[in-house]
Amino acid sequence: MTGATARAEVPPAELQIGERPVASPLRHAMDVLTANKAALIGIIVIILMVLFSFVGPIFYHTNQITTNLPDSLKPPSALHPLGTDNEGYDELGRLMLGGQTSLEVGLAAAVVATVIGVIYGAVAGFVGGIVDGFMMRVVDALLAIPTLFLLIYLFAVFRANVVLLIFIIGLVAWLVPARLVRAETLSLRTREYVDAVRVMGGSRPRMILRHIIPNTIGTITVNATFQVADAVLALAFLSFLGLGIQPPSADWGSMLSTGINYVYGGEWWLIYPPGLAIMLVVMAFNAVGDALRDVFETRLQPR
Amino acid sequence: MVAYCIRRSGQGLVVVVLVSFLTFIEAHIMPGNPARAILGIHASPAQLRAFEIENGYNLPLPLQYLKYIDRLIHGNLGFSYQLNQSVAALLAERLPATVILVGLSTVVALLLCVPIAITQAVRRNKPADYAITGAQYALYSMPTFWLGLMMIMLFAEKLRILPPTAPQGNVPQILAHPLGLVLPVATLALGSVAAFSRYLRSSLLDNLAEDYVRTARAKGGSRRVVLFRHVFRNALAPIITLVGLSLPGILSGALITEALFNYPGMGMLFWQSALSSDYAVMLGITIIVAIATVAGSLLADILYAVMDPRVRYVRAGQ
Repeated sequence: MTGATARAEVPPAELQIGERPVASPLRHAMDVLTANKAALIGIIVIILMVLFSFVGPIFYHTNQITTNLPDSLKPPSALHPLGTDNEGYDELGRLMLGGQTSLEVGLAAAVVATVIGVIYGAVAGFVGGIVDGFMMRVVDALLAIPTLFLLIYLFAVFRANVVLLIFIIGLVAWLVPARLVRAETLSLRTREYVDAVRVMGGSRPRMILRHIIPNTIGTITVNATFQVADAVLALAFLSFLGLGIQPPSADWGSMLSTGINYVYGGEWWLIYPPGLAIMLVVMAFNAVGDALRDVFETRLQPR
Repeated sequence: MVAYCIRRSGQGLVVVVLVSFLTFIEAHIMPGNPARAILGIHASPAQLRAFEIENGYNLPLPLQYLKYIDRLIHGNLGFSYQLNQSVAALLAERLPATVILVGLSTVVALLLCVPIAITQAVRRNKPADYAITGAQYALYSMPTFWLGLMMIMLFAEKLRILPPTAPQGNVPQILAHPLGLVLPVATLALGSVAAFSRYLRSSLLDNLAEDYVRTARAKGGSRRVVLFRHVFRNALAPIITLVGLSLPGILSGALITEALFNYPGMGMLFWQSALSSDYAVMLGITIIVAIATVAGSLLADILYAVMDPRVRYVRAGQ
């Protein structure tokens, strides 16, 4: 973080009007991210977790489909490095399987939420007036219902599966990006280059899609990163309450939900690993999001 | 000021009307039809038909909506056929317990966040600041129930100084066992502490960079006096808004906390209704929670405008 602020205070090298800074945006982003240790660790954690969940099972075969009751609740050993759960599933293998679900749902739901939110916010901000007022009151109304209450209701009605989880978590989470993008659109739509497009006969969808949304990319990226963290947590909450992924599938939340029954039995290996996994992934995405905010803010400052 | 309050309340009212519309839609995405969903799979066609006529489900949708609004205005939140009790009566029983949990934990969080944020702002970018920031990150990223679970393991199982579940019964009965409240309140408060103190820290830092701080220092105010008399007061105002905005999140956290500690509140009722497909109760709670949220942010905005007159002029100018 200190690296980013220090860089912002350095006046930009003498640039001629119309000349672009030498460092490309991507290069600049890489510079800031590598200077920010928390973000760097975050990126490494995310890569390791993806490898662990998706590549891990190739090297570490376990049976995660049929139960094996004689082998249930075994403490960690050479055969089962993290022990087994109440149905005899190998806990380490289950952590990989659960990671797949948690990461898939987290990433995909963030994409769904971001796409809906960005388009909604850009349209509301661009059209303005009564339409904007109404569209934003709809957002307020949805924000008034706490996310978890909405999710629980929807999953009490519909039986959860991975695709449905992605869409419903995404559909519930688009409100914040919608607000952010709308606020930025309000200032962007009065810029000269948008006027120029209008004068040249560009259509409204073209102005929104080609000129306004690309200029909110900073806000979008930062928020999308936080969305992943929130979606991973939302899935964990749902599964913990027994309304998320159903067995024999698993995610980190449902594993914790199993573990809670063994607090007094001393089966710590059912509680610490999935909880730590959720915390690490959520922390990693939050750290990367914070660093990205620094990237885009420093890029905005010299303007 | 009055104009601001009226305008802001008007916005709140529009949101409440939209919320009622949303819960109405929610009621109509139930599997099959509402009668089947509420009466269950063993109801006969005649019973279903009678239920539909009695509750107006045979009317056109716009009329049904008006009927629904009329019902809400008269305080009729629906009837739980599974618990054989009106939703309003159920809520009267459970809501106070949740108010206590949410209220206590918010107060605890506010009390804790002040010294933490001041320490951070005064020792900005020093080891203490970094250590606290790390802890805030961890708390912020920790699922509420895991935090609660670890506290149960430590305080209830290992040290055996606190009970692992919440006291049962109504509010006086809950308050009669304050020890049982410690873990649920702590679980819910710790999540808020992380968010509040992070916000207060940056608010303090912003204010420390203002000109009035330099003026006050130049006039001979000691660091301590300037910090507490000037900066702290100005930095605290945005926290009011933050608490208002955090209310939905805190209520979600309360639901998880109640489920974990078997705390007899509204969140627990909502969760049990979800597991037993008692949609009437869920819809009744949803609308109460939404109205509470709207009222909370309305109150926060008005309080903020009272404390900081700039707000109401800026908004009026828009």
